[in-house]
Amino acid sequence: MAPDGPPSATGRAVSCTDLVKVFDASGDPVQAVGPLDATFAAGHTTALVGPSGCGKSSLLRMIAGLERPSAGTIRIGAETPRDLTRRAALAMAFQDAALLPWRSVRSNVALGLSLARQPPDAARIERLIGLVGLAGFNDRRPAELSGGMRQRAAIARCLVSAPELLLLDEPFGAVDELTRRRLNRDLPALWQGTTAILVTHSVVEAAMLADRVLVLSPRPATIMAEIDIPLPRPRDEDDAALRDRIAAIAAALRDSGPDRVLAAQ
Amino acid sequence: MTAPATRRVARPAVPVVRVGPLAWRVLGVVGLLLAWEALARLNAGSYVLAGPVAVAIHGVEHAGLLGRALRATLVNAAWGFLWGNLAAIGLAAVILLVPRLERLLVALALLVFCLPLVATGPILRVAYGPGDGPQIVLAALAVYYTTLLALLVGLRAVPRSWLDLVESYGRGAGAQLLHVRAMAALPYLAAGLQIAAPAAILGAMVGEFTGAERGLGVLTIRATRALDVDATWTIALLAAGMAMAAYWAFGALLRRVASDPPALLLAPPGPALRRGRRRGAAGAAVMILVALALWQGGMDALGLNSYFAKRPGDVLTFLVTGPEAASHRATLLAAYAETLAYTLPGYLAGLALGAGLACAITLAPGLAAVAMPVAVALRSVPIVTTAPLLVLALGRGSVGTITIVAVMIFFPTLVACLQGLRQAPGDVIDIFASYATGRWRTLVLARVPAMLPAFFAAARMGVPAAILAVTTAEWLATGRGIGSLMALTASTSDYNMLWSAITLVALTAALAHTLVARIERAVLRVYGPEQLAR
Ligand SMILES: Nc1ncnc2c1ncn2[C@@H]1O[C@H](COP(=O)(O)OP(=O)(O)OP(=O)(O)O)[C@@H](O)[C@H]1O
Ligand SMILES: [Mg+2]
Repeated sequence: MAPDGPPSATGRAVSCTDLVKVFDASGDPVQAVGPLDATFAAGHTTALVGPSGCGKSSLLRMIAGLERPSAGTIRIGAETPRDLTRRAALAMAFQDAALLPWRSVRSNVALGLSLARQPPDAARIERLIGLVGLAGFNDRRPAELSGGMRQRAAIARCLVSAPELLLLDEPFGAVDELTRRRLNRDLPALWQGTTAILVTHSVVEAAMLADRVLVLSPRPATIMAEIDIPLPRPRDEDDAALRDRIAAIAAALRDSGPDRVLAAQ
Repeated sequence: MTAPATRRVARPAVPVVRVGPLAWRVLGVVGLLLAWEALARLNAGSYVLAGPVAVAIHGVEHAGLLGRALRATLVNAAWGFLWGNLAAIGLAAVILLVPRLERLLVALALLVFCLPLVATGPILRVAYGPGDGPQIVLAALAVYYTTLLALLVGLRAVPRSWLDLVESYGRGAGAQLLHVRAMAALPYLAAGLQIAAPAAILGAMVGEFTGAERGLGVLTIRATRALDVDATWTIALLAAGMAMAAYWAFGALLRRVASDPPALLLAPPGPALRRGRRRGAAGAAVMILVALALWQGGMDALGLNSYFAKRPGDVLTFLVTGPEAASHRATLLAAYAETLAYTLPGYLAGLALGAGLACAITLAPGLAAVAMPVAVALRSVPIVTTAPLLVLALGRGSVGTITIVAVMIFFPTLVACLQGLRQAPGDVIDIFASYATGRWRTLVLARVPAMLPAFFAAARMGVPAAILAVTTAEWLATGRGIGSLMALTASTSDYNMLWSAITLVALTAALAHTLVARIERAVLRVYGPEQLAR
């Protein structure tokens, strides 16, 4: 664990059993997920990759308790997602960062504490902003930040409440390639020890960040392949062993169905 | 609706126009004044137009009187503005926390907004006795509905992820309101207040028309009765000037809270009727029953004297089951028909002229930059306050009334359509340009469809405005139609007829509003589906 990382919570294992999600708003049901079985090991980072529209966000939102499963169960430790949110023990980073534009960076990070009903802790907020590399931008508004800086602020907001489960939905979707590389290298240390589930379109990102990659089928999402990445961190994108894993993920994705994945640079 | 979409729809309403050097502006104003004065002198004997010199002289000679009246009107308008907007904020909060109530509450709010002010005024006068109560209530009634709509749009114009963020910490609707929606709605509230500011002045003045001791409305009535052209012009200009000043003041406030102010006329219609005709009809029936129950229950609860506060049963007896019901109906319907004959042509003409001029302006680029600020400024003038001028100019016949209605509809429609025409996405226009499509075809194929949502929003909001305009004109000046019937019955204490007229007018307005909203929704389904999504 990084010596000056955030005090890490005890990670929780997540297990999904026979999980199904069917959207039926307009009388024309769409099955987005499942039936899907998966476990996410405690304290590990797992990446979900799959073709666009296959149901990754739906899966993540169910685990976050934002969406109810149509069938099947989700257990986080022994609890349901709702139990976890009620304790404010999980945090989610959204694709669009979801920073409130009228709040400064500091105040947006502080929101992570106040929404979790934790007492304000200026020193901790300051430290996390520093850890994501935004020191000196405490008083800036989101509009004054670049896309990557916004994502980092959002991640600081997630981490400030020391969640037991971290859910990241394409957190670096809006980031340029260079910044993304730097984030991929630096950020994982911040949530080491926490269970993290990461949705991404980038095969490279999955390999850089995750301990294990789950390749999903086209909609409805089911698990097509599992690829372990037992490599030490920090990782190097040009490392041969990592390249090998990247190739394996890309191959699994190609086999999984129509190849509409954007990545595999 | 997601905020990015809204933000895109909500491009700034007014292009920043650099008016040339000061000298040009001064020259323009002087030229205008000279033309006005010349016109007035040419028409000297006709009792229509007072020139700037006459207005100035009248203003100076009666400065004390005008000042006191202006003060009284502004104070009443301010109180009404405060209460009306507080009511709107309260209603919006209730709707947000209990979404099930939305259709019912918004429909009831619309129904109350459709009550003809010129009839509610005298009834309030009886209930309150002398004093400022009626003016304040009418000012509040004139503002709360638009503010409510603005707030409802604003409270929802929030990206899904901001709400999910709050929910993912296990927090509910209250925390979403506190942390996210309240702040996100501020620009919309400010935009709503901007529209409400002149409306409050209008409401207060209508309240003064119907029997107050002090205020610009009282002076207006006196001047109109005495055919005092100088006074009529001075008062109307003063009222219009105040309304414009209020509009600009709140515009400045708006620009402080929002760098990209939302265009409120583009507010989409309320939530769609439930699927299925039968459920829609059932919903309407429930609504009518609730309205009737509130009418009866409210009056009973307040212990209002049934001499002037007629209940639904009284109206039913008067119009249907009573001995002379047939003749009452005949009187009411004759006046109603007369009013409709003024309102409909005026309403349609206002819409057509507004949309037509907007298109014409777009065909002649460059003109828009000039026309837009003028239109925005004139939109803020409550036309009713200038109704006496139009009556002076056009006479008490049908032309005058139809013109008043048309003008009342014209400016908001023009502004909305100009905003709408600019919504046509730049890249679509570029595609047309790349095929060397002519201006006309581009207008028809790309711009007009983009304008439709704004046009229909204006048409919808124009319904209560048209009713207000026509009843006020009839009340003040023409002596015909249902407005005049209301004036007559109010002065002869024929409260059964007055309440019957109120019911008929409010129902008509609410139905017309619903009809336009229906057409609007059908059109939006094709041309602007993102406006209907929630
Ligand atoms: N609220 C909803 N109502 C109806 N259908 C939905 C809803 N949310 C998602 N869907 C449908 O479920 C399917 C999966 O959507 P989801 O957002 O989970 O995909 P995704 O894998 O995250 O895609 P992307 O990679 O493009 O973000 C899609 O077909 C989508 O249309
Ligand atoms: Mg997604």
